[in-house]
Parts: sequence; C-alpha cells; structure tokens
Amino acid sequence: MALAKPYESDWAFEARLRRRIRNLILFSLALLISLLFFFPVYLMVSSSFKSEGEIFAIPMHWLPHEFQGLLQYERAFEETRLERWYINSIFIAAVQTVATVFFGALAGYGFAKFRFPGRNVLFLFILSIMTVPFQILVIPMFVLVRQLGWHNTYEGIIMPGLISAFGVFMMRQFAYNIPDELLDAARIDGASEFSIFRRIVLPMLKPAAASLAIITFLFSWNNFLWPLVIAQNRDLVTLPVGLTYFSQSLDREPLWAVSMAVSTMATIPVILLFLFFQRYFIEGMMVSGIKG
Amino acid sequence: MGLVQRRQYYGLLFVAPAVVFFVIFFLYPIVIGFGLSLTDFTLLKPPVWVGLQNYQDLLNDRLFLKSLNVTIGFVLGSTVPVWVISLAMAVLFFQRFPGRELMKVLFFTPLLPSVVVVSVIWKLLLHPSGILSAVIGPIVGQTPIKWLFDLQLSPIMSVVVHDWHIAPFYMIIWLSGLTAIPPELRDAARVDGANALQSFLRVELPLLKPTAVFVAAISTIRAFQGFSIQFVLSPSQGGPLDVNTTLGIVIWKYGFQFFRMGDAAAISVVLFAFILIFTLFQLRLGRSDDFSLS
Repeated sequence: MALAKPYESDWAFEARLRRRIRNLILFSLALLISLLFFFPVYLMVSSSFKSEGEIFAIPMHWLPHEFQGLLQYERAFEETRLERWYINSIFIAAVQTVATVFFGALAGYGFAKFRFPGRNVLFLFILSIMTVPFQILVIPMFVLVRQLGWHNTYEGIIMPGLISAFGVFMMRQFAYNIPDELLDAARIDGASEFSIFRRIVLPMLKPAAASLAIITFLFSWNNFLWPLVIAQNRDLVTLPVGLTYFSQSLDREPLWAVSMAVSTMATIPVILLFLFFQRYFIEGMMVSGIKG
Repeated sequence: MGLVQRRQYYGLLFVAPAVVFFVIFFLYPIVIGFGLSLTDFTLLKPPVWVGLQNYQDLLNDRLFLKSLNVTIGFVLGSTVPVWVISLAMAVLFFQRFPGRELMKVLFFTPLLPSVVVVSVIWKLLLHPSGILSAVIGPIVGQTPIKWLFDLQLSPIMSVVVHDWHIAPFYMIIWLSGLTAIPPELRDAARVDGANALQSFLRVELPLLKPTAVFVAAISTIRAFQGFSIQFVLSPSQGGPLDVNTTLGIVIWKYGFQFFRMGDAAAISVVLFAFILIFTLFQLRLGRSDDFSLS
C-alpha cells in the first residue's frame, strides 16, 4: 500500500516529522527559559539545606553534600526572631484580609444595588484612590498615624490597609450581577436589609471574596515600606522587614544558609496558596493588575 | 417619600464605613501631604510655612536630581525588556507542546517570593564569591565580579532582578489577551495562506493592542515606584554612590533618615505628577481602543 501511494505517504511522514521537530524545538526552548527562571528559587530552597561553608562552593553543589536537615531552620529560630516575625505577619495579614473582604463586600453591595444621593460621586472617589500608589502617601500617613498616637503599635501597622479601594471596586463588579428578584423576594418575606446582606449577598459573593482574600493576604504578607517606617519596635517587626535587617548586617557577612531558610519559610504560605487555590490565585493577580 | 425610595438610603449605610475610612486614611493624608510640602517640618517642632521654597530647592538638590536620573533610567531600562520577554513567553506558552503546563509553573515561580525575599536571593546569586561571578567571570576575564558594588553594573542588576520577578505576571496578562482572540480569525488567516509569523504580525498583534497599552502603562507606573529591590539589593540602601537611589528611596531617606518631612512631601508630589501622567495616558488610550474595537 505504501508503495502504491508513495506521494501521500511521504507527505504524511514529512508532516509528522515537521510536527516532531516543532515540538522538540518548542519543548527545548521552553525548558531552557523555564529552568533559567526557576533556578534562583531552587537555589533558595537548596541553600537552606546546606552548611554555611558549602554555600559558595565552586562549582556549585546542585544538591547539598553535607545535608543539614532542618538544622538551618532551627538556627533561623535561634539567630533571628523568626517566630515573632511570623506571628506578626500572619496576624496583620489576617486582620487586613478579613476586614478588606467584609467591608469591601458591604460597600460593594451598597454601590451596586442601591440608588442614594451622592452615589456616583462617592464611587468616583473610591476609583480615584486606586490611581494613587502608597509611596506618595507614606510621608503624610506617617505624620497622621503619629498624630493618632499609633506610632509603634499594631493599630499603626494595620489601620492604613484595613480597607482597600480595590476591594470595594472588585466586590461592586460582582455584586452587580446578583439578581434583583432574589433580593426583592427576601424583602417581601420581611427580611431586614442587613440580614439580606448576610444571608444572600455574602454567600453569593464567595468566589470573588476568595480571590480578593488571596490577593489581600499576599499584599499584606509582602508589604515592606509601611511596616519598615512605622514599626521601629523590635516586637512589631514583620517577616520582610526582619529578613532585610538580618541579611543586611554591615559588620559581618550575613549567615546565608539561615537567610535562605528564613526566605523559604516566608515563601511557604504563598506556595501553599498557589498550589491549593491556583485558579483564585491567578484570577486575583490578574484583576489586581488593574490597580497598578 | 415612598418605602422603596426610603430603602435606597440603606445603601448609604452600607458604603459609610468604607467612605469614612477613606476620608481619614486617604483624603486627609493627601491634603496634609500637599500642605507639608509647603513647610519645613522635622517632627520635633510644628511645621513652618515656607511656600514653594521646597520645590525651588529641589531644582538644585543634588540627591533629588540624581534620583530623578536613576528613576528614569530604571523605568526605561526595565520596561522594554520585560515587555519583550513576557510577550515572547506568552506566545511560546500559547503553543501546544508536551510538558507545557509543568514549564509554565516553573516559569511562574519567581512571582511567588516577596520582593524582599527575591532581592535577598539575588544578593546571594550576585555575591562576589557567588555562582554568577564564578560562571560569567572567566568568560569576561575578570573574577570576582562585584555586581552590586560596580557603579555601572549595579543599576543593571536592579533591572534584572525586577524583570525576573515580574515577567511571569505580564506573561499571564499577555496570555489571557492571546486566549481572548477568536480562533476563527487565526484560522482564516491560515486558510488565506499566511504563515505563523505573518498571522501573528497581522492578526494577533493588532488585536493585542489593548493588552499592550495596559501592560505598557502599569509596568511604567510600577517602575516609577521602584523602592524595595533597590533598598534591599544594594549594599547601602540605594548605593553604591546613590546609583540605585530612586525617587522612592529618596523620599524614604529625606523622611526617615534626615527627618526633612517637608522636602520628602514635595518629592512625593513630584512623583505623583509623573505617575498621574501615565495613569491618564492609560485611561485615554485604553478607552479609545475600546471604541475602535466595538
């Protein structure tokens, strides 16, 4: 058969060959670049299992020759105040996340489903907030928080990030799609406005709330500038600030393996969120891009 | 007033907590920020009114002018490469090939660690006795390479670290733009005899314009805010010799090292003006594109 139709067979063979070659080229190219991008993250994790002396071994050890187990992690807890930093970061991120989602849903629902005087002006005000980066606000915010007497307190770190304009905006977009009939039916049944919000609106906003919660948590977890300037008290230091001080000691070479153990510890919650909530994670990052 | 109308006022109740919050923690700081920029204020004594003096002083302020240079260099140096890399990677990951999903995850990993962690990892990579010095040193005939202490190399390293960290983010945005293009258009171009490159240049690229405007604008706005990478990566918070001192770092220095709040507030206003220009650019271009597409 193949000999009987040599032309078609050649053509099929050639097409298959071209496909294979194309796949191979794409595969190799993607692999090369992906590994290049992945390498520093790999180095962070692998270095956290090396001894200090092995960190600068040339040629580099891909896997630790003197595997340290969790020793560098134990040292991280001894040499730094990692436990305190961790508790601070989690506490601050948790409060900001819950508040941002709750007040965001509350205000988003208010803007989406009610027509009250001044609604458009107020919503425009919220939108305009999203165009102003925090860097510009840091000086007056510092002065304000000092005036309020919150310098070096949890309130001082938490309050400016308690509600986000982006959260209100995002929740409004999703609350807008809740059918009015559903809300009216509940009203006819005699439900109060707040119980409608709690029993009907909040559950329907869950998927959007999940994305918002993830990006708010990430934003708070990674926040650097504000905790850096507002909390000089060593009991209030968060993970990014603590890691910066620890790895920037000027009088001696930093303990690199310990730094990498702290870095890995600081990244683990983010990796977990990414692995378990990949869809919400990426969705959240995409919509948050809007806020610049 | 009818019952239905009265009900609408509940909306005010729902938005009130957020609105009150933003009046205190946004509007008020904005107003005192402008006010402070017209004063001399060291936190110890009450602010002293100086009018536009702070702004005038900025014109001759060596550190501020330097930081303006550094910031513009960082914006120009970081944006264009990150557009090219992220778009190229999006086009690559848009193709079907074995192992694609796993590689996408690997490529995505730089986005997971925080900017501070990213900078600390790269401090290790760029250490004079580190791996990059050992690999590249022999090629250029100079070991060790002091990446972060060299006046020319150091700002380039800030760009490299920034782009490495953020490229996956823009890749995802490009990828969603590519996915949104109806496949029929691509198929039609192929049927008409266009090859892959022609179809990309003539069909996909023009349709990606809204995505391009978005990526261009937000990457520029973000680069203007450069702070954390320079702060952590450089040996001395913006050094050596201030070659990594961005506007963000200079605001921090004036505010929290020299306690010259008035000058720091004035620089914040200048930074605000820069960012506003690009925000308006994004809104204007983004909108006109929506019209032309509909």
